[in-house]
Amino acid sequence: MQTADFTALTPLLLLAAAIAAVMLQIALKRSHILTIVLTLAGLIAAMLGVLAVGDMPARQVTPLVTMDRLAFFFIGLILTATAATALLGCRYWEHAVGQCEEYYLLLLVAALGACVLAAAHHFAAFFIGLEILSISLFTLMAFARRRMASVEAGLKYLVLAGISSAFLLFGIALIYADVGSLAFPIWTARLQAAGETVSPLLLIGMGMTVIGVGFKLALVPFHMWTADIYQGAPAPTTAFVATVSKSAMVALLLRLFAPVDFTAEPALFWTLAILAFASMIVGNILALRQDSVKRILAYSSIAHMGYLLVAFLSGGPAAIAATVFYITAYTITVLGAFGVVTVLSRTDADADSMSDFQGLFFSHPWLAGVFMAMLLSLAGIPLTAGFIGKFYAITAGAQGGIWWLIITLVLTSAASLFYYLRIVVAMFSPPLENKTQPPAAGISYSGGLVLTVMTVLLIWVGSAPGPLIDLIGRITQ
Amino acid sequence: MDVNDPVTSIATIWPLMVFLLAATGLVIVMIGLSALLGQRHWQRTTGEPFESGMLPTGTARIRFDVKFYLMAMFFVIFDLEAIFIFAWAASVRQLGWFGYIEMLIFVGFLLLALFYLWRVGALEWGTKR
Repeated sequence: MQTADFTALTPLLLLAAAIAAVMLQIALKRSHILTIVLTLAGLIAAMLGVLAVGDMPARQVTPLVTMDRLAFFFIGLILTATAATALLGCRYWEHAVGQCEEYYLLLLVAALGACVLAAAHHFAAFFIGLEILSISLFTLMAFARRRMASVEAGLKYLVLAGISSAFLLFGIALIYADVGSLAFPIWTARLQAAGETVSPLLLIGMGMTVIGVGFKLALVPFHMWTADIYQGAPAPTTAFVATVSKSAMVALLLRLFAPVDFTAEPALFWTLAILAFASMIVGNILALRQDSVKRILAYSSIAHMGYLLVAFLSGGPAAIAATVFYITAYTITVLGAFGVVTVLSRTDADADSMSDFQGLFFSHPWLAGVFMAMLLSLAGIPLTAGFIGKFYAITAGAQGGIWWLIITLVLTSAASLFYYLRIVVAMFSPPLENKTQPPAAGISYSGGLVLTVMTVLLIWVGSAPGPLIDLIGRITQ
Repeated sequence: MDVNDPVTSIATIWPLMVFLLAATGLVIVMIGLSALLGQRHWQRTTGEPFESGMLPTGTARIRFDVKFYLMAMFFVIFDLEAIFIFAWAASVRQLGWFGYIEMLIFVGFLLLALFYLWRVGALEWGTKR
């Protein structure tokens, strides 16, 4: 390895150093505030590393990872989302029973796994990154170990992620048997060259890889875990799963399948198209009947990954840009939405049922406003980031001529307004008379900071998307 | 020889088929014959282990201290890490100083993890002081 390799890896190395530092600090002296400071310092150092080296030409470091602009963009996104989760966790874990410093350690490890996924160039890196991320996630989900639902969520995710990893590994083995290499470019070149006469081995291997990716993105029919885990896991973990884990997988999706020309490979196109169609329909229909805010957000995330696939499936350069924009807008929005849920949660139970949000406008008008902005962005109302994301996805889809998917997107988004507005209506309804108000913990500075930043970003990207579109245009060219 | 051709592939694997049939047949004959010819009786000590060890008492569902599992897990983890060191040792000359430094970092992380485990009291067997 040369010096330039280490330069390219700066963000990952800094993140790894931060993990070692936090672990040493916990071993020497337990202190919640010190851990938070160290975690944030490590994340900010890694972000500065991204800014410092992000503009250099793409460089393949070892056969495993490629540090190009796309990787740096996603690493930046992951680090930002992790920092937001850590800040949200400050107040949430403050009064928790037992020790909570390890939460931040696990967050950093999971972020490292996600960063490896975002830069993966090889199936080995794909699998290592995925497992680093998943194994940390089990513990992050079960971290509120006095709460049955939290432990249950961790256990469910453990079993299901194990099964999906088994599928993925089998798929990788089949691909290796056919292609003779685990590097992504060789695989996509083979897929491209094979066209419609792709060998059964490669086809099955590709299908199993799609299962592995589909599980993490919670596409129908691999979505069964989503609702229970979103509901059971502690609110900051849910925010992390919904943003970091998904954006890392989207980066991987782009690396795996974006170089393939879909017109030459109809099997891949139809597999992903049916997943997208089913996700949009099933996610939105299941969300209609829910009475738990976290479950509504879980089902809506399934639908959103369907919308994202529509952008991705349109093919061509616009597809990649639209996908990257969509996941960025989605990350901002979901961090804000789960940020509100976290801020309203108590240590023993998360704010979840509709009645927890009833009359929020009268007790916390500011929070209600932020939550409303986030929900409208998820629904795709103009002046929010979600609107531009959806608009961009539809434009890309129209260029690709996949009209049936666009029509599904438009119709299901219209239906989705119903359940988003149900929450908004609850927030503006008069407060329940007999409801004992949760102890007014007040909004912590850290939580307030996250919500402010996300709201400003939401409106900024929604009203003036130019800079972000330019940035994404530069990284995807 | 073309292995994809059905005729040649059968020609090459017929000994395997014969072996499989013979093995299955042997098992069927042995179990079948002893079922047909053997005697059946059910007395007080029939179900007990024959000339081997203690008589089992009680149920298998007793509660183990969770520390057994914890110790076993640490053992497996550190044992697995040793495999990586073996892989490095096998090609230490080709990897040179760079590999050496990389392995130092790896072992350093392991020692750090061990230090952490020691400090949080995961290696204590008794109750927490």
